[in-house]
Amino acid sequence: MINGESGDIPGKDKTCSFCTKPAVARLTDPDRHLCADHFIRDCEERVRNIMIAEGMISHSDRIAVGLSGGKDSTALLMILSRILASGGDDDSSEKGARENDAVRPTADLVAVTIDEGIAGYREETMEAAAALVGRFGISQQIISFRELFGSDLDTLLKGREEEACTVCGVLRRRALLEGARRAGATKIATGHNLDDEAQSVLMNLLRGDLPRMVMDTASGYPDCFIPRIKPLLPLSEKEIVIYLMVQGAFTDLPECPYAHTALRGEVREMLSSLELQYPGTRQKLISARDDVREIVGAGEPGVRGEGAVNRCRRCGEICSGEICAVCRVLELANEKN
Amino acid sequence: MLYDPDHYEMQVILPDKSRHTLPPDPQNIREILDGFGCNPTSVIVIRNGTVVPEDFIARGDDEIRIVSVSHGG
Repeated sequence: MINGESGDIPGKDKTCSFCTKPAVARLTDPDRHLCADHFIRDCEERVRNIMIAEGMISHSDRIAVGLSGGKDSTALLMILSRILASGGDDDSSEKGARENDAVRPTADLVAVTIDEGIAGYREETMEAAAALVGRFGISQQIISFRELFGSDLDTLLKGREEEACTVCGVLRRRALLEGARRAGATKIATGHNLDDEAQSVLMNLLRGDLPRMVMDTASGYPDCFIPRIKPLLPLSEKEIVIYLMVQGAFTDLPECPYAHTALRGEVREMLSSLELQYPGTRQKLISARDDVREIVGAGEPGVRGEGAVNRCRRCGEICSGEICAVCRVLELANEKN
Repeated sequence: MLYDPDHYEMQVILPDKSRHTLPPDPQNIREILDGFGCNPTSVIVIRNGTVVPEDFIARGDDEIRIVSVSHGG
């Protein structure tokens, strides 16, 4: 994060806190106005800092970036490409060398794009994803629900549209994991941002699902699943849109036709109002979740009171019970169809 | 041409694409957002084609486009 004083001339638009160019955004904590160039640097620096602080990337990692073609995954791929290409600032101290190692370009990227099969929506974002990987010269693995589960999402949801986001979420996670495996990835990076994460915390609380709230997918059990990282956590949805807009990389893509069915929409509205009235609410929710995680020791096998990690009796994947969520979702869909 | 406020109107385009006109008097963009019930944490403001912070001023025949940030992720 960069600091500075805003150029404040009464009656005139404010300039950047670091140069004379016009500001495109005002950020707080600390309060600063930033021009497009400094805003881009600020965002990338905050992402780089959290990656270093949380040890998100190790030497020789191959990172599967979940690339839908929407705004968050587009920004994620752009930022990771730049951070990994730059390899961090030169710092010859032992600590600096260790920190630089965390983001050195020994890690490489592969994009994994999931085609859920949502008519009239997915085609455009698939095209956007293909264009982006072409621009950055990154290989892309495409996995479709039809190939992996035998049906597209539209078909699977017939008669249960109100469960769209739950069903899609379960299947997408599996598809992303499969794509990462096929790509030989050691980490999965997703475009979850500050808003997404705070919304998830509140949604899990509202559903009374404390185990899910404290579950930490960043650690990963050895040989069980590929650890996930969320490098965009320091950035709000708004900051991501500005980041893309000021680089001419924002495309106003259509909204998922199932989005209106989600509890997330209501939680999003609620949190936006709270954030306006009580700045910092989103971050405080995430910090509270992290504190709870630390207290209960999430990430260690068995901490959810469900014993050791199991394998699904049907597909052999990791699950907490006898049958995994994917098999349950598919079974229900087959019954309804 | 001399500035004549009577000949100007601000154009405001909301996220739902509806267009509205406002008098040309200088106005803080944050006030405009409040007036249309837009939450500044959920929208981006584009003044005459350029992204601007909400504490900027709109005036004259400025075009203010308000874009929702909450979909298409």
